[in-house]
Amino acid sequence: MGADMHAPRGSEAEPTADQLLAMAYADGELDAAARHSFESRLAGDTALAREVAKHRAFAVLARRSAAPEPADYEWRRLAADPLQRGTLGVGWVALSVGVLGLLGLYLWRFLVDDSVEWVERALVLSATVGGLALLAAAVRARLRTLPLDPYRNVER
Amino acid sequence: MIVATTDSLPGHEIYECLGLVHGTTVRARNLLRDVGAVFRTIAGGEVPEYTKLVAEAREQALDRMVAEAKALGADAVVGFRFATSEVAKAAAEIVAYGTAVKLRSHG
Repeated sequence: MGADMHAPRGSEAEPTADQLLAMAYADGELDAAARHSFESRLAGDTALAREVAKHRAFAVLARRSAAPEPADYEWRRLAADPLQRGTLGVGWVALSVGVLGLLGLYLWRFLVDDSVEWVERALVLSATVGGLALLAAAVRARLRTLPLDPYRNVER
Repeated sequence: MIVATTDSLPGHEIYECLGLVHGTTVRARNLLRDVGAVFRTIAGGEVPEYTKLVAEAREQALDRMVAEAKALGADAVVGFRFATSEVAKAAAEIVAYGTAVKLRSHG
């Protein structure tokens, strides 16, 4: 049996100085000067911000100490049930294809309809492009801030 | 940080009142979750999508209030309350508020 078996694994490794600092910051244990110094680093260091968010997420989950409810076990079985998963998958795909396809089809027909004035068509096209751009910006912002959101794992 | 709904804390004396502290948030689920929730409301029972939404908002509002109390140097928040209102459909607005105080332990 080799000595390396007793070497610390990833989760057992000693925390780095920054990780300890992030824990202390998340727990509100830093004094004012240390807090301000840490906050100025946080502004430019995404990895540090994620570390703080991770510890805040642990703290949020730790204060929910209620035992699981009987229905929770059935929810988990349902989530793993092939019939339930298949039904949900088929439902989502069919609904998405139908709704997006219809919207795209109606938009295309409207844009190539010569009986509609070109100004009206241009305005509808502008509104569509604007809406899609705003949606893309909102999704991008959410994806960027998601790792920093310590509340996303709260269930109830 | 002690957060209590009562106006006093057994075993402690409030010797300084630092004033009102509060935390507010408005959170929304994504469109796909909202669509899923619509079908759950048809079938009845708990709608976990919205339970989660309200719980997330509650925890965030609470943390923001506690952060404000800590910034004031408080030891506790007494008279703590949650309040809700509706600013948008399928969004949860929660306000957590209370009075930040400094404590002295008896004995």
